[in-house]
Parts: sequence; C-alpha cells; structure tokens
Amino acid sequence: MAQHTGWSRRALLRASAGTAAFAAGGVGLAGCTSSTTASGATRVTLWSWMTGMDQYVAAFNAAQNEVHVDLSVIAAGLSGGYAQQTNAIKAHNAPDILHVEYQGLIQILATGGLRDLTADMADLADGYSPAAWRSVRPDGRTWAVPMDLAPMALYYRKDLFDQHGIPVPRDWREFTDAAELVREADADARLTTFPLNDGSFFAGMCWGAGDPWWRIEGDTWLVNVAGEGTLRTAEFWQELMDADLVRNGGTGTQDWIAGMHEGRLWGYLGAAWGVGTLKKSIPDDTGRWAVTAMPVWDTNRPANGVQGGTAFGISAESEVAEAAMTFLRWLSTDPEVPRIGAAFTSPFPAYLPNRDVAREVVPDDYFIGAPVYDVLDEADARVPEWTWGPNALGLFSSVADSFGGVSTGGTTIPAAVREVQEAAVSTMRDRGLSVREGGAA
Amino acid sequence: MTIVTPDPTGGKTQKDTAPRPRRRSRLAPLVLAAPFALLLLCTVLVPIGYALYLSLFTERLSGLGFDGPHDVFVWLENYADVLGDAAFRESVGNVALYAVIHVPLMLGGALVLALLLDGATVRLRQVWSLAVFLPYAVPGVIAGLIWAYLYSPNIGPLNDVLPWDPLGSNGVLPSIVNMATWQWMGYNMIIFYTALRTVPRDVLEASTVDGAGPIRTALAIKVPMIRPTMFVALVFTVIGSLQLFTEPLVLRSFTTSVTSTWTPSLYVYEAAFISNDYGRAAAASLLLALASALLSALVMRLSARRSR
Repeated sequence: MAQHTGWSRRALLRASAGTAAFAAGGVGLAGCTSSTTASGATRVTLWSWMTGMDQYVAAFNAAQNEVHVDLSVIAAGLSGGYAQQTNAIKAHNAPDILHVEYQGLIQILATGGLRDLTADMADLADGYSPAAWRSVRPDGRTWAVPMDLAPMALYYRKDLFDQHGIPVPRDWREFTDAAELVREADADARLTTFPLNDGSFFAGMCWGAGDPWWRIEGDTWLVNVAGEGTLRTAEFWQELMDADLVRNGGTGTQDWIAGMHEGRLWGYLGAAWGVGTLKKSIPDDTGRWAVTAMPVWDTNRPANGVQGGTAFGISAESEVAEAAMTFLRWLSTDPEVPRIGAAFTSPFPAYLPNRDVAREVVPDDYFIGAPVYDVLDEADARVPEWTWGPNALGLFSSVADSFGGVSTGGTTIPAAVREVQEAAVSTMRDRGLSVREGGAA
Repeated sequence: MTIVTPDPTGGKTQKDTAPRPRRRSRLAPLVLAAPFALLLLCTVLVPIGYALYLSLFTERLSGLGFDGPHDVFVWLENYADVLGDAAFRESVGNVALYAVIHVPLMLGGALVLALLLDGATVRLRQVWSLAVFLPYAVPGVIAGLIWAYLYSPNIGPLNDVLPWDPLGSNGVLPSIVNMATWQWMGYNMIIFYTALRTVPRDVLEASTVDGAGPIRTALAIKVPMIRPTMFVALVFTVIGSLQLFTEPLVLRSFTTSVTSTWTPSLYVYEAAFISNDYGRAAAASLLLALASALLSALVMRLSARRSR
C-alpha cells in the first residue's frame, strides 16, 4: 500500500509512522484557514503521502500565480494517513485536497467528507484509462481525480528462466508448472511468494478472477468476498503452498529484497509500481528482470487485477474548491507532471496522454524483454469491473489476520476467506448499511 | 493516579491567624498550582471526558453510506460489543500471558543484576551499569526494527540458532517478551541499584558481624529494605504490559503471527484508525484504563500490607 515510498525503508516508515499517528491520535491537526496569499493567489491546502509531491507542488506554484498550494506530507495510507484524514473530516478541519487511493475512496466517502466532482470532471471522462475512471465513479457520480493506476503484472528473472528453459506462464496452470520447474532448477529457489500479511495483494489476485467483493445495486451493497472466483483463487494458492511451491513471507521487507537479489525468488506478482520498487530495491539486478502479463484463468478472456493507485478528492467543506480543482486538473493531466516524476519514479498515469509522455521520458534501461509500458498498457486494458466497499481498508486487516494461521496449518485460505465474508457482512450491517450477501443476481 | 488540587481550607486557617498577608497567601497556591491544574484539565480530564462521551455514541450510516454518518446514542452498547468481542478477549489473554512471563523475568533479572552490582567485589561498576542501561536509551520503534531484523529468516542469525521460529505463531510471544525485557531490565536495575545504595551501611556491617554471607545479606537485609521501590517498579511494569503496543506493531510488518488486534492497545488502534469505529475504540480504551487502575490499586494494596 505504500507504493510510492521507498520499499527498502517501508518497514521503518510504516512502523514509525504508525506509532506517530497513534501518539498524535485524536489531536485535530488544524487545517489552514487563511485563503489568500500576499500576492493575491488563492491558498489551497493539500495532504498527501505521494513521493515527490513536493516537487509537483513547487512546479505548479512556480508556473502560475492564481493558486498557491500548501502541501503537508502525511504518513502513508494505513500507517496513519487515512486515520489523520478521517479524524480531520470528523473535526471539520480537513484540508482542501485529500489523498485517497481507489481502495480507500469509498471508506473516506462514508465519512461524508468528499465533494461531488461529477460536473467538474465531466469533460475529462474520455482522457482517462477506463479502469481508473470507473474506480472514481462507484455510483455513477465522480468523487475523485485519478492520478495513477497500478494494474498487476508478473515480474520474473528472465536470465534464469532462459538459462533453465522455463516457459513464461500465461495461465495459472502453467504458473504451477513454472513453480515446479523453478524448484527443480534450484532447491532453495521458489517462483514467488504469496504474502499472507497483505490483504491488498490477495484482493488484486481475486480481482483478476472476476468476482468483485462488492457491488452496488440501487441502494444496497452486495457483499461477495467468498464468491466462486475468490474461492478458486484461494484454493489455487493453498495448493501451491501445500506443495511447497511458493513462499508465504511478505513483500517489500529486507528478507524479500535479499531473496529477490540472491536468486531465492525468481518472480514477483506486483503492481505497476513494482517497476519503481525493483529499480530502487535491487538496482544491481539491471538486465536480469523482465515484465510480462499476469497469468490468467482463461486465455480467451484474459483479466488481471489492480493493486493500489492514487486519486485525490476535494473536501466537502472546502471554501476554495474551484482553486483546488485547478491544481488537481494540472496534477492529473499536465504533461509536465510525468516529466518531473520520471526523475525519481516510474509513473503510470491514469490520464492516457500523460502515459504517452511517461513512456517517452522514463528511461527503459533496467528491464529486458518486452517494453514495460506495453505490458502495463495491456494489463490496464484487461482490468475487469470491480467496486471497493466502505470497509475495504478494514477488510485488508481482517484478511491478513485470518491468514495468520495458514502458515502453521491452523487454517486454510478458503476457510479464512469464508470467515472474512461473515465478518465483513456483520461489520457493514452493524454500521447501519443496507447489505445483501452474495454476487449479482 | 493521584489528583492534586489546591487545598481550599489551607487559606482559611491562615485567614484567622495572619490577616495581613492573607490575600497574597490565598492567591499564591492557586497561581502555583494553576499550570499543573490547567495541564491536567486539558491533557487528562477533558480527553477522558471526551472519550467517555464518544464511548456512548456510535456512527450509523444508511443505504450505501455515501451521505456520511450520523451519531446515535447507544447507552453502553459499545462496552458490550467490546466485552463480547472474541478478538478483544484474545488480546487481553495475550497481554496477560505476556505479563506473566515478562514481569517476573524482567524484574527478577533487574534485581539480580542490581544486587550483583551492589556487591563489593564488582570492578568497572559504571561500565557495567551503563552497558545494561543502554538499551533503554534506544527508541522503542528502532529497537523493535533491529530485533525484527535479527528474528527474520535468511537475514537475521536468530532464526538459524533457535530451535523454534521467533516469528512463528508460538515463537512471537517469547520474542516480544525478549524485546521488552532487553529494553527495560537495565532501567529497572538502575532504580533497584539506587535504592540499594540507600540501605544504611551500618545495618549491612551488623549483618556481616552476625555472620551473614553475601547471599544471606542480600535476601534477608537488602531485598526487604528496598521492597517499596520494587512495588513501584512492579506497578509501572504491570501497567506497561497492559499497554503493550510498539513491539507487536513493529513485528506486524514482519510476520502474520501478530494480528491487528493482538494487544488491547492494538485493538483500540484498529478500531479507531482502520475501522473508523470511534465509539468502540473509546469504550475499549476506557476499559483498558479501568483495568490498569484496578491492577495498580491491587498492587499498591498488596504493597501496603506487606510493608506493615
């Protein structure tokens, strides 16, 4: 979830930020109330944890003098960012612009703190990747401005695959074969890890299986965390784990980085931001890794999920919503933004013209094989329907909690998934939401 | 926790005996106590009152929830929810088990080290005490990360040395006990050692004259004389155990064996900042505070009885 922060430092950031957020707790962090600068520009406050946001903001402030953005960097996502924003909304001192991810949008929306941007955004509809555009319009109204998108792909050690003659898996059956071949080639190596502690990863896997965990039907939530596609995914990974064909440790940890670099892990099922993660975490591995499409269930109807992606919302109580919108339009659609970003990250913009800019300016010198942006573009086009629910972030925790017993054999992934479904339904009902179990009628 | 407020009768008695400086002396205690009273009010009493208020309400959504929540008064429903929640009871069980291992181990170790240090024959006394005390100077999160790396398979040595997995479901509790013991033993050792230095030397000489060896002196003279200090340390440690937070939070990034509600403090954190259920979080934290208060009262009571 901390896709924009340096992964080698992720654990540190997450831990320290989490503690700091706990300490800061219910303290309402005051938003700036003065609305103009000395030079007459409208002041807009922004909270974000996106890496490099300071540089985007500086470029925007320098480029014009109508709007001046004041950035406060907050802790990433579940390490404190969401808590801080939710608290601020509750205390009526939210900043003008809030950082949301697609999976957190609905949960923030359920605080009543976001402004309806349907009219402001209408003219941009055709510019965005359909998957990103759908993600900010859960109920047909537009609630946020998409920034980037993180469709999932398979990163693999092309040098080792080639050396041992292992075919690149196109579907999940071939994935199992590849996992066996990797273990045969090197008894200490595995194809990949299934991070039991990462609910958003599992959600991404299930997304590709075609059974959305939530749907909106009129005024009711359909909750389907234990649908056919999800259980199929759960059983598949349980079998791989039982056969000792994959590991189950987390990704982004020092152990994982060491394993990737030292040839104990030959693959990584990761989102678009994995490009930046690999470049930063294992820079010495230049020329070893390639990116390819995520394995699929049905090669005639290829589909893959998404893990993360940033969007920005405007506070319902913002008095300078128009100026905030001016900045967000620039941030999301101006070709200058990916040019700035290319210096420190590998952006995958949701706004398609900007993606073409990124393709040109981001150096393609790390990966071998197919061009990265081609693979990710295809992955983006394959993203099926999906709706996040108002308890999505909490659900990631309960997935990780329920998966805790899997590594010791105390439970299985399918059993844990059924547990999560029950918990999700009762949590949503307790909160007064209108809920029905099961998939679409 | 004791609440000190200026004694209103203090001014009155002075009024009768000394009429002249009366105004000044009535005002002085109030002025002097004001910073404390103000801080107490703003940082303790008001937040407790607000938590109490929050704990009686819950946020209800309707339909899809996109219209935002409204607060509903639910009496004690949040408390019932917390007490009826298996996750909360498990978290209490976890800290209870943790305390049962950590408290005697850490305090016992600190006492033994303090007695050794207080023994006459130790060389390099200051070097030793500094070495044992040093872990306390390391910030909790940093210490947690360092230990987590030591526990991690492949990159840390402990995983290879230990017969069990320090991050596995059975190994994680001893690992957390170890982290906390490492951090707090030196701190408590210093406290005990300081108390031991105040034991009158003539009493110790008398015991030596009576033929008590160093072990007998330690057990029969020194330990009973620093018992009040030990009880204070015990109270702090028990409360600290109940509030266990940093170590499991840090380890959560490294293992699935620590759930998001592994200790009561984590439970509160999860309820408030991940599930956005402020009512339940407030109820759970008040229950936690109440349990801390009761436990410390119990320990103080025991201490008073033993010292008599």
